[in-house]
Amino acid sequence: MSMDDTGFPHDSGLPNGGVPATGAGAGAAVIQVTGAGIRFRRNRRGRRSFKDLLAGSQRRSRPDEFWALRDVTVSVRAGEAIGVVGRNGQGKSTLLKLVAGVMLADEGSVVVHGGVAPLIEITGGFVDDLTVRENLYLTAGLHGMSKADIDARYDEIIDFAELRDFIGTPYKHLSSGMKVRLAFSVISRLEEPILLVDEVLAVGDKGFRDKCYQRIDELLAGGRTLFFVSHNERDLKRFCTRGLYLDGGLLKLDAPIADVLAAYNRDYGASNA
Amino acid sequence: MTTAPVPRLRRSTAQVYRQSLWLLTSRDLRVRYSTSLLGYLWSVLDPLVMAIIYWFVFTQIVDRSIGEGPYIVFLLAGLLPWMWFNGAVGDATRAFIKDAKLVRSTRIPRTVWVNRIVLSKGIEFLAAFPVIVIFAVIFGAELTWGVLWLPVAILLQAILIVGLGLIIAPLVVFFRDLERAVKLLLRFLFYGSPIIYGLGDLPAGLDLWASFNPLAGIISLYRASFFLDQLDARAVVIAAAMSLAILGIGVLVFRRMVRAVLKEV
Repeated sequence: MSMDDTGFPHDSGLPNGGVPATGAGAGAAVIQVTGAGIRFRRNRRGRRSFKDLLAGSQRRSRPDEFWALRDVTVSVRAGEAIGVVGRNGQGKSTLLKLVAGVMLADEGSVVVHGGVAPLIEITGGFVDDLTVRENLYLTAGLHGMSKADIDARYDEIIDFAELRDFIGTPYKHLSSGMKVRLAFSVISRLEEPILLVDEVLAVGDKGFRDKCYQRIDELLAGGRTLFFVSHNERDLKRFCTRGLYLDGGLLKLDAPIADVLAAYNRDYGASNA
Repeated sequence: MTTAPVPRLRRSTAQVYRQSLWLLTSRDLRVRYSTSLLGYLWSVLDPLVMAIIYWFVFTQIVDRSIGEGPYIVFLLAGLLPWMWFNGAVGDATRAFIKDAKLVRSTRIPRTVWVNRIVLSKGIEFLAAFPVIVIFAVIFGAELTWGVLWLPVAILLQAILIVGLGLIIAPLVVFFRDLERAVKLLLRFLFYGSPIIYGLGDLPAGLDLWASFNPLAGIISLYRASFFLDQLDARAVVIAAAMSLAILGIGVLVFRRMVRAVLKEV
């Protein structure tokens, strides 16, 4: 499948919560990653200057590139909970971003059926000068929720974030814990069939973290598909059944989570529990 | 608390596009107006002050031999569209950079990042219309049937700005110098476009070349509302062709670069 550069790389998807309505049955893949690869420039500071633009293509300084992910093939069925394991900089977050559709693969394809609720850089979308209420409507809307849907879930989102008293407060005056709470609350209420979580749960106090875990449990029980990136072995074991082990941008192992964690610990010795 | 996924109506791409475009446009406008006391007045004050300066110079200090009278109406008919052009093209240089975090975390159609700027600046442009109406009434400029060209002028200008934005926005992510280069070009273009003068004021022969600046034809369409003889059919045709060509180039450039832009922002 070729991805539309200007639009959504994702199929518009299924009519409801991730249960495949097609005749293919429960075995149908909701996420199909085929031979996906993406490359980056090594030094991010190496922005090309005007001189390069004017210079001929031969003299143009070509920054060296590397593959952050290469030849990754994964098929995920509806309702699976997948943990992604690997050291820093081995492509875990990049894989999540490809699935989220916020980055586009340079080779291969990433096909996602149904909407995605990405808990990636979650506080990024908020605007300092707008109020909590305005930010809630903005972020939920940009993630594809209609105005009526947001209206219906507004109270639920505010209560979960425990921000009832701060509805009219400009976002910039919130504490960093409150910001994360608002963000998690909005994204986890998107009611999309696929949930992507990228190490965001490390922040926030313990009480709220427990609430987040409970919410993820609920979503999983409701048949959602989970893609979970973490360094925390306990969390991985708690939520995930299947693991992906990424090393050097390659998919080294795709197996039950216990096997993947065992292989990872064997390679790198340390236990992060 | 409910745990079962609530069936949600899937919306068409067009609906999603409209929603995200409007969300970001209204956000931009709201941020601008909620943080400044004078709000709306600023978007009017800017072209007004410029118009008064040029009016003063060209009618009170030197004898005006360019444009038409009432000169202040003639000026505003060029300055207001210029403000839209200048604001949108100038801001397009920061279309991705300003909202880098949002670009990194949402997957709305990427052209929205450019188009919301064109739209929010366009709304400010429309909001400034009362100014020219007031001056037309005070100075007795009469509306002609040329006002029928107004929607065409707005459409052509929108096409032009979207096209330029689609070219500039992704390129700036890689060539930061372009941001300053664009500012410089815009200043040059202000005098290079028939804003304080009319296309007909240029020496014979030069007016053909000046028509290749699409703003020339577009402004002549705007001015036709009050000054019918400012309408220059040749310039309008050239402007339409140029604007469409620029939009075409913009779509191609944007498509080619969006993949790399998403990695870089």
